[in-house]
Amino acid sequence: MNARFLRRGALFGALALVAFGLAIVAAACNGDDDDDTGTTPIPVATVGKLTILDPWVRTTTNDVTAAYFTVKNSGPADTLVSVKTSISPMAQIHEMVTSGATSSMQEMPNGLDVPANGEVTLKPGGYHVMVMNVKSALKEGDSVDLELTFKNAGTVKLTAHVQKGEAMSGMDMGK
Amino acid sequence: MKFTVRGAVPIALLGLVAVAVVAGAIALGMAVFGGSDDGGKAEYMGAVTSRPVEMPDATLTDQDGKPFNLKQESEGYVTLLYVGYTHCPDICPTHLYNISESLKKLPKDVSSKVKVVFVTADPERDTPEVLKDYLKTFDPNFIGLTGTREQTDTFQEDLGVSVATRTDLGGGNYAVNHAAYVIAFTKDEVAYTVYPAGMGIPEWLNDLPLLVKKGFKPA
Ligand SMILES: [Cu+2]
Repeated sequence: MNARFLRRGALFGALALVAFGLAIVAAACNGDDDDDTGTTPIPVATVGKLTILDPWVRTTTNDVTAAYFTVKNSGPADTLVSVKTSISPMAQIHEMVTSGATSSMQEMPNGLDVPANGEVTLKPGGYHVMVMNVKSALKEGDSVDLELTFKNAGTVKLTAHVQKGEAMSGMDMGK
Repeated sequence: MKFTVRGAVPIALLGLVAVAVVAGAIALGMAVFGGSDDGGKAEYMGAVTSRPVEMPDATLTDQDGKPFNLKQESEGYVTLLYVGYTHCPDICPTHLYNISESLKKLPKDVSSKVKVVFVTADPERDTPEVLKDYLKTFDPNFIGLTGTREQTDTFQEDLGVSVATRTDLGGGNYAVNHAAYVIAFTKDEVAYTVYPAGMGIPEWLNDLPLLVKKGFKPA
């Protein structure tokens, strides 16, 4: 029993450190985004000072999936308050919370903040729109309509494509 | 050297902790991006655990409904073990997708020596049939394990991860809060590296050949 606890403690310690290391690395990468001219994603929709980029939804294996996109803001702070889609009656904005080595996702009842003159990205392991009770299977090449409502900017409709995972370009940290 | 803490030391201690954390982050940053070419310990991109993790000696039920002894079945293979659930919208499919894409890209002498074992933390929903249908969308060779609630909870305890809990999402939906990293057991059935969310195809392409061919020798 003691050995078990020791081992668990050690693994947690290692992972807490990992989380910290990754956070620093991620922050460093975000800092480069502004002068990144290499692979500029194509904006798919705008509303007010907000631009939505790179929307995608994961292929389904059951009735649960997630939607991801980036919101760029060239104006004052705003908040994404709700997401709707015709594929499901139930879409929620979620965040991943890691405590120790365990990840859990939680609904963000107050919505997701979009910083003034900044951006927020929903991506695997971070923020996502969780879509439950999906009515029919989604396969690669399908498209999904999304309707995003922001507190100040209002509502915008767009189309997301369905893919199995994050595109490789999205993971390119080495630029 | 002896280290005693009393009275007004907290600030100094905080400083120490900060230094330790930053040093750790820098060391990890190097490991994550493989920036070092010393030819030794920094070759792995995965996060090195502070202490090796032993593979639990457990028998669960596989996706065909047959008993599956993890230690026996792992003999001679690198085993990537992940605790998750099929109704997971985000991290589980991301890990499974990244591993399946990486195995497709790697030479056969590497990919044939890797077993991927997905152990459910949601045995009420994840029956053998459900696991089979789910995993074949990533790779039909992936192994899915389930059991009674007691068995899957005990398995997580033996693994040294915190046992999964539930969050109600409304409308009959619930999320399962679970360990979010893949644990890589080398052929000695001990894991020295883990792969949290955020690590993906580049890390697997780098580490799987090392895990298969070299094993892990701490520096
Ligand atoms: Cu979620």
